[in-house]
Amino acid sequence: MIIGIPNALLNIKYRDAIQEFLHTIGITTVVSPKTNKEILDLGVLNCVDEACLPVKIFHGHVEYLRDRCDIVLVPRIMKLHKNEFICPKFCGLPEMVKYTLDIKNIICPTITAYNEKTLKDSLYDFSKTFRVDKEKFKKAYNGFKSNIYKYNKINSSRSNLRVLLLGHPYLIYDDFINMGLIKKLNQYGVEVFTEDNIEPYDYTYRLIKKPFWTFLRNTYNCAISLVETGKIDGIIYISSFGCGIDSFSIDLIKKDVGSFPYLVLKIDEHTGEAGVDTRIEAFIDLLKRRAKYEYNISSLG
Amino acid sequence: MNITFPHLGNTYIAGKVLFEGLGVEYTIPPISTKKTLEIGCLHSPDDVCLPFKIMIGNYIESIEKGADTVLITGSCGPCRFGEYCELQKKVLMSLGRQINFIVIDEPSKIGIKEFLNRLSSVAKESKLSTYKKAKALNMALKAINLIDEIEKECRFYAGYEKNKGEFSKLLKEVKKEAIEAKGAEETLKVLEKYKEKVDRVEIDLFKTPIKIGIIGEIYTIIDSLSNLYIEDILMNLGVSTKRTLYPSWWVKNTALSALKINKSPIYKEAKQYLKMCIGGHAQECVGEAMLNYKMGFDGLIQIFPVGCMPEIVSKAILPDIEKKYNIPILSLVVDEMTGEAGYYTRVEAFLDLIEGRKKVCI
Repeated sequence: MIIGIPNALLNIKYRDAIQEFLHTIGITTVVSPKTNKEILDLGVLNCVDEACLPVKIFHGHVEYLRDRCDIVLVPRIMKLHKNEFICPKFCGLPEMVKYTLDIKNIICPTITAYNEKTLKDSLYDFSKTFRVDKEKFKKAYNGFKSNIYKYNKINSSRSNLRVLLLGHPYLIYDDFINMGLIKKLNQYGVEVFTEDNIEPYDYTYRLIKKPFWTFLRNTYNCAISLVETGKIDGIIYISSFGCGIDSFSIDLIKKDVGSFPYLVLKIDEHTGEAGVDTRIEAFIDLLKRRAKYEYNISSLG
Repeated sequence: MNITFPHLGNTYIAGKVLFEGLGVEYTIPPISTKKTLEIGCLHSPDDVCLPFKIMIGNYIESIEKGADTVLITGSCGPCRFGEYCELQKKVLMSLGRQINFIVIDEPSKIGIKEFLNRLSSVAKESKLSTYKKAKALNMALKAINLIDEIEKECRFYAGYEKNKGEFSKLLKEVKKEAIEAKGAEETLKVLEKYKEKVDRVEIDLFKTPIKIGIIGEIYTIIDSLSNLYIEDILMNLGVSTKRTLYPSWWVKNTALSALKINKSPIYKEAKQYLKMCIGGHAQECVGEAMLNYKMGFDGLIQIFPVGCMPEIVSKAILPDIEKKYNIPILSLVVDEMTGEAGYYTRVEAFLDLIEGRKKVCI
């Protein structure tokens, strides 16, 4: 049996781990290629119009895989932290895929993974479908664990200009959607931080209510802790149009950081690359000038 | 402390009964209009959903009338509504308005102690005895049930009435009189009087009007400003409409769910499509669609604001119900930019389609 893994949404992050897990229990996998124009078009054509871009692209990947494998893996990721959710669209993703693409050959394990035990239970339930014995599962689970942090971390050389790149992992790591944003920033000689290569402090005490979205808590903590410690010169927030979580986190951060340089890039299927380039260039010019003159001008005029 | 709350359908009548019964100072925000929406849009982030913007408009208008505390319900589900209080407070603070928020969250998430603490911050304003406070709460529950019952009957039997326009006239009158009545008991009396009046309106049960179920996101289907008065328009055309998601339904459903004894048929029907709660009212939307089909409705209208995350999932599911059970479903997406003409044309075309299917003429 061949299982198809769509290379989109959080699968980008956990692709290697899932592959290792399935290989160990003796299943061949096929991973869809990196997002390209064909996949994007397939997704936009088939998905609900109101959905956000990453969800549309996920539909494109499933559509691409449907005739290239026996069964497509569409995980329903519910929780990655206790009392926190990912996003309603992630919870209902299998249903969306099933009814909009009219596809029968999908497998949708429910993943609840806020600690070791729940992760193990979810994966065990998933492996039950393939009649795996306990010994083999244990080996596969270890393989999963050791590969979980293997996704491509960003290496950028040290520089005076440091920028925090915020956004969901499936926007940051997909070079097609973000139009090679990290590469472009590196060309300008900017050191890029992302959520994955910093260790933030917990600043949620500043909020009235403890956030129940994992993405919101992460981005908020990252932004505030780096701004407070003065480790960065600017923030770039990359967000997809119509993202419910970003509509809150962008403004929560903006209201907290005040006049700190903050660029929001909204992306959808019609975004033109030239416009994005201009905005990044202007933002970096601003950062450079700010570093040079801002603190030399007397505040008395 | 002067308490205010955002509009949600008929809740302002229940709110009036509650606070008058408790003897607490309160301000009802002016009925939402285009101006409210404009104020809300001016101060809200672009991307948030429509209910957020209308609520901000409500707050600002009632702050101008003297309110200083906002009372809202919260949720800890994956839907955006749970984070409203956070950003709304920040927005109002950045406008230089000092305002307190009392958020009534689910007791299971914030702890019973904190829940009672928040409730008592409202109750301690009142100088009445605990018995009288409980009585006021009971009266408010009675009021919301009565007004919703009246509205439900008026909307459904509008297609069956003998003298056209009677129900819509009654509905307008009851809301006007209830808000003008002085004191909690008086308001309840008005509602009871109108309940009897509605029951006595002559109806012709041999008529076969078009019956439409309204499903979708709870705020946009209840709040008539955001759905551009769709129920009134359908009522005037002699179409019977039904929706289950009333504020009184929400109160009952939340209470039953908290006690884990909720056996609503909606969830049973939704099970074949959506097994678990994914936040918002997606499950209810799908379950309602199935229930309405089984009750012999001619068509369904789904309404939700732009970017509503749970409803996007249910919108993906609805075409399957449409195909499998042969029932027309119209999805209307609303935001502050919705043009009236295009919106009504779509509704009218949808009604024409149903007329054609039923071979009747309204």
